[in-house]
Amino acid sequence: MTTNVDRTAEVLIRIRGVTKDYARGGEVVKVLEALDLDVNRGSFEALMGPSGSGKTTLLNLIAGLDSPTSGTIEIDGQRIDRMGEGALAKWRSNHVGFIFQSYNLMPVLTAVENVELPLLLTPVRASERRKRAETALRVVGLADRMSHYPRQLSGGQEQRVAIARAIVIDPVLLVADEPTGDLDRQSADDVLTLLDRLCKEMGKTILMVTHDPAAADRASLTHHLDKGRFRA
Amino acid sequence: MTFVGFAARNALRNKFRTALTVLGVAIAVVTFLLLRTAVASWTQAADFAARDRLVTRHKVTFIMSLPLRYVDAVRSEAPRLGIKGVTWASWFGGKDPAHDGEFFATMAVDAPTYFEEVPELVVAKDVLAAFKEDRSGAIVGDALAAKLGWKVGQRVTLESGIFPPEDPEKPWTFTVRGVYTATARNVDRSTFFFHWAYLNDGVAPVRKDQVGWLMSRVTDPARTADVGLAVDRLFDDKEIQTLSQDERAFNQSFLAGFSAVLGALDLVSVVILAIMMLVLGNTIAMGVRERTSEIATMRAIGFLPKHIALSVIGEACVLGAIGGGFGLAIAYPFIERGLGRFLEENMGAFFPYFRIPTPMAFAAFGLAIALAVLASILPARSAARMRVTEGLRRVA
Ligand SMILES: Nc1ncnc2c1ncn2[C@@H]1O[C@H](COP(=O)(O)OP(=O)(O)OP(=O)(O)O)[C@@H](O)[C@H]1O
Ligand SMILES: [Mg+2]
Repeated sequence: MTTNVDRTAEVLIRIRGVTKDYARGGEVVKVLEALDLDVNRGSFEALMGPSGSGKTTLLNLIAGLDSPTSGTIEIDGQRIDRMGEGALAKWRSNHVGFIFQSYNLMPVLTAVENVELPLLLTPVRASERRKRAETALRVVGLADRMSHYPRQLSGGQEQRVAIARAIVIDPVLLVADEPTGDLDRQSADDVLTLLDRLCKEMGKTILMVTHDPAAADRASLTHHLDKGRFRA
Repeated sequence: MTFVGFAARNALRNKFRTALTVLGVAIAVVTFLLLRTAVASWTQAADFAARDRLVTRHKVTFIMSLPLRYVDAVRSEAPRLGIKGVTWASWFGGKDPAHDGEFFATMAVDAPTYFEEVPELVVAKDVLAAFKEDRSGAIVGDALAAKLGWKVGQRVTLESGIFPPEDPEKPWTFTVRGVYTATARNVDRSTFFFHWAYLNDGVAPVRKDQVGWLMSRVTDPARTADVGLAVDRLFDDKEIQTLSQDERAFNQSFLAGFSAVLGALDLVSVVILAIMMLVLGNTIAMGVRERTSEIATMRAIGFLPKHIALSVIGEACVLGAIGGGFGLAIAYPFIERGLGRFLEENMGAFFPYFRIPTPMAFAAFGLAIALAVLASILPARSAARMRVTEGLRRVA
């Protein structure tokens, strides 16, 4: 696993005038309204706000899971707001690591196989895939749980496997949607410490949605969303 | 880990449901093979036909008989027609009241010539001699004798709806003189043969000197059809005209009555395949639905719709292959050792050789996989088209 530590205050994510509308039963719902946002490379930032304020929607746009109704999204110098589905998928597989509230591991795969999964999309050879997956699991402190299935792991361990899966492709950006939402305090702290380390030691840029003020405290900056707009 | 291995594990993840589906497919495969084997066995019975044998019957239907003098008519013209031997037989339609449920074919044949002209029936020399000596003698298939426990010298009384005995006090009684075996496996080994002369003795005067059909051996098998036409021409201006066919065509016209049944079996085979497809399609669709968030996660990671679709189809292949393989594993012992043997012994006239045709086994296995793939197309499509953001919102 290569580390690319780059501490210059360079903007990694540049969002301008992003709007997202949903058509619901003939009626247009404005979920995000004319958002501007800059996120520096190598920073660990949090996104807070009431339920339904549009946090997940924004995170999905930044992660290239969805496209905005209008506005521009530039990540690492690349415009992703008008990319097609196939191009976005390819871009995601090279640039973004995903961490979900409910871990979203594949129950039929062991920990190390789950971590290996994203590498199936790369030309990396099988033996090399396994080596990289093992390294990533070691980074998250699960060297002794490689061949456990998700159901044999605690929630905190599952989330750390998910983090290993997110970093195995060495992405520039990690997006986490309420990564501690299902965890007890201790496991949540472990996960947050891990994210902090990934940011500080490996230079990952991390964007985390959370409801938990204690979690947001671990980030260097917190953005507050309310009804689709940033609160000052 | 590979993508294929991943798909295979998904196919097997729900043990109980997988087991039920595999069982469902296996049962469909067994039933399908059973029907196809029955059809094949049936057709095979008609298919055993000596190419050089010509069967001459009443032009209207084989149920009506011909005058015995037609035999002499053909014999006297034999060299000119290219015929080297003529024999005849009548369908007796007999039944053993002691074994009411057993069906076997009973035929009155011309004892001096019949077994010479039908070489696929193998009779020991001394048995044949004893049979020819005894006007009420009979030769029976070894399978029939074994099943009904008949021994040489045994007296057997048969009833016939076609030929009720002229004198009710004198039923049709025969003495078993021995058994015949066969040179080919699809020749029925449970027919009962006896002297046509004995039959002729016992029928009412108006029915005397009648034969069911003539059987002629042709010198040049390539000319069988022409010889048949020439034979029929002999009787063109007679009161009773004839129809001569090679034996294969004759057998088929004999079995024509069953063609409706065969058609029904074809239809049922298709229905069974359709049911198999529904069973598979349901399992696959359920599996896909409950994996919504997993599929969305794969898409988020960067897997493409085509990867998702392929993994669903791959899963279906695994289910189809396991179900098909399991079905074959059940079908062989069940059909070939169990039911098949029973049918060969008990209904040999219809199912002389009840074994799964090998191409059918391949076809059944292939169909299980092909139909699984077909059944997975819709679920695969909906999985591939799933919107990632919506899939992720659904918590598993
Ligand atoms: N596909 C959709 N169609 C219509 N409306 C949608 C769709 N997806 C999201 N929304 C709406 O957009 C709004 C913002 O949703 P979003 O999930 O981004 O909120 P959130 O801030 O993440 O909330 P939570 O804290 O509960 O996760 C909500 O009102 C939601 O109902
Ligand atoms: Mg949300």
